[in-house]
Amino acid sequence: MAQAVFTTGKARGWSVPRWRPRQATVLAFAMLAPSLLFLALFTYWPVLQVIWQSLHGQLRVGGPQAYVGPQNFLKLFADPAFRKALGNNLIYALGTVIPSLVLALGFAMALVKSSRVNALFRALFFLPVLIPLVAAASIFLFLFLPNVGLLDYHLAKLAISGSNWLGDPDVALWSIMALTIWKNAGYYMLFFLAGLQAVPADAYEAAILDGAGPWQRLRYVTLPYLKPTIGFVLVIGLLNVVTQVDHVFVLTKGGPSDSTNLLLFYIYQQAVENYDAGRAAAGTLVMLALLLAVTASSLRTLERSFGEKEP
Amino acid sequence: MTTTRRTLLAGAALAASFALSPACAQGQTEIELFFPVPVDGQLARDMGVLLKEFNEKNPTIKATPVYTGSYDETLIKTRAAMKAGKPPAAVIMSANFLLDLKIEGEIHPMDALIKADGKTNDQFMGQFFDALHGNAVLDRQVYGVPFHNSTPLLYVNTDHLKEAGLDPDKLPANWEELVTTAKKLTKRDGDRVTRWGMMMPSNYDYGGWILQALTQSNGGEWFNVNYGGEVYYDTPSMLGALTFWSDLVTKHKVHPAGVQAGGAVSGAFLAGQTSMMLLSTGSLTHIRNNAKFPYKVAFVPKNVRNAVPIGGASLVIPTGVEGERRKAAWTLINWMTAPEKSAWWSRATGYFAPNKAAYDTPDMKEFIARNPDAGIAVKQLDVAKPWFATYKTVPVRKAIEDELAAVLSGKKTPKEALAAAQKQADEIMRPFVEQTALKLPTN
Repeated sequence: MAQAVFTTGKARGWSVPRWRPRQATVLAFAMLAPSLLFLALFTYWPVLQVIWQSLHGQLRVGGPQAYVGPQNFLKLFADPAFRKALGNNLIYALGTVIPSLVLALGFAMALVKSSRVNALFRALFFLPVLIPLVAAASIFLFLFLPNVGLLDYHLAKLAISGSNWLGDPDVALWSIMALTIWKNAGYYMLFFLAGLQAVPADAYEAAILDGAGPWQRLRYVTLPYLKPTIGFVLVIGLLNVVTQVDHVFVLTKGGPSDSTNLLLFYIYQQAVENYDAGRAAAGTLVMLALLLAVTASSLRTLERSFGEKEP
Repeated sequence: MTTTRRTLLAGAALAASFALSPACAQGQTEIELFFPVPVDGQLARDMGVLLKEFNEKNPTIKATPVYTGSYDETLIKTRAAMKAGKPPAAVIMSANFLLDLKIEGEIHPMDALIKADGKTNDQFMGQFFDALHGNAVLDRQVYGVPFHNSTPLLYVNTDHLKEAGLDPDKLPANWEELVTTAKKLTKRDGDRVTRWGMMMPSNYDYGGWILQALTQSNGGEWFNVNYGGEVYYDTPSMLGALTFWSDLVTKHKVHPAGVQAGGAVSGAFLAGQTSMMLLSTGSLTHIRNNAKFPYKVAFVPKNVRNAVPIGGASLVIPTGVEGERRKAAWTLINWMTAPEKSAWWSRATGYFAPNKAAYDTPDMKEFIARNPDAGIAVKQLDVAKPWFATYKTVPVRKAIEDELAAVLSGKKTPKEALAAAQKQADEIMRPFVEQTALKLPTN
């Protein structure tokens, strides 16, 4: 069918050149149609629905949805729990992305040479990536159990009494961050391993001849070459900290006292526990805007660093 | 290409089976039952067995069990199905969600169905323990049928009692005895506690329920049973209860600080790392099967009176289920809550059978004789009261649970915490209150 359209278009194109672009457009859209249809059904239409919902709410308890203007957004920003979730997410982002990046780079540099031992270690560091986050969180639930958990069991042998890892508002977020770093560092290592292959050996040779120490080589040779990789991993890492809350759901449900509540989990709470679809939609839009801003700015730096590398 | 063809074939086969299935089931009313499993996987199989038997006994109905996760997830999935215009015919719903569902117009009274069976509401509800009526009968109309229920219970490791030179037959009955016993049972290695005297779960959902038990044991009520817009957080009875819990942590040092999850508490008890705990009667079977030491259970210790909240779930029919499907759902509900089935489910899970007559069946009498702990749990129903339920139950409960966590972590005093919780709960319930109790004639 598509083939037929294509050939006729081509044939006519020779005689009447004016028609050619329109036929090509039709063909392009015909070929795009299936995926456009599904994109529209499952992406754009829901986005429109969320926008609609964010401007609507119940005026009367148990009543129908009515237009409420920006009220959902005003209530959202006035909610201390939302501000807390926003702050938590910021700490969570900084506290997981940077350590995971540093660890991943360290692993990659240590294991960059291909050998049997290194292959084994690469596999070991990559293992956490293969475990679904929900499953990983369920395992950590047992590690973190106060008194009986693996962590406290070993600490007790050293006569140290462990903390209430998930039940202390000062500690819980850090416990969750530790899990995230453990889960993601191996994944990012993979990108750095690939990135390191692109660093030319003669660059190192030149640096060594110039008398550069290991730190200087890292600072002035490795890192500049890895810039695009770092940029890319940064985007993925930032997207991860906003879009993944499975472990919060399994381990703490945002508690104790909202100390581990993250944006996406807050939205879930509004929609499900509070049964306030309007505020949940408003929260979703705010999160979406943040994500877009983060991605756009990171991608721009990414492009710039790609551009820089070109001679 | 082969994969595509295979997928197509599979798709066609699937479509055909969909098209054929209604034809096969002609003359049958198809209904589905949404059910949560709050305990473990075995129960999902038990539910399958139960409904298979129902289908065999009722050839005109084909009931399908649909596993829907936890209580909270079951609520979400039910609401999603209703929004999609395909409500399940019956749902096993957490008993304290019924008021919320009623306020939102998502369930309707079952009075007409009861009347069609030639019974009055009182006659119908009379078959269930009195303590369960409060969460099922709202404004004198029946909105749900109790299916399986629980109360908090004191579990004690009697080996530890003997070891500490205490009488294993005398369990703490009041707060005074609880503190002295817990102090004797707590073991320390320098500054490090190797065994706690007492543990109570304080994670979301569980914490509120346990705090309600302490408040009621302290003479309090927690919420207005007759009106969904009032909670009594900032009151002396609640202050006493919360201070007592906080004292166990900071003053008597017999209870670990911070939030303890339900699973962590039962785990610590089974591992011998806590000697006593307050936990649901729904965990009885789990503890009985896994404890490697003798244990005993007792009523929740009192300060002012013996009183506990109920927990568990009721069967409801969502709004939008009409005609034959509604009748079929009603048949299923009655079948599942009849004495025989109720007793069977209770033995499988550890929950109470809400139907009083279940305890007169020979199987159940024998079971209680063999497991006296289950008998004590049932006796506590005499002093049980309705479970906390208001407009927007979950966030109103979370308001105090967040403060409870702060108190147990030493971040706030009980007095400050209760004032903050009251303020927040009032704020959440304000829309409802303004449209009900504060909606007054203007001229």
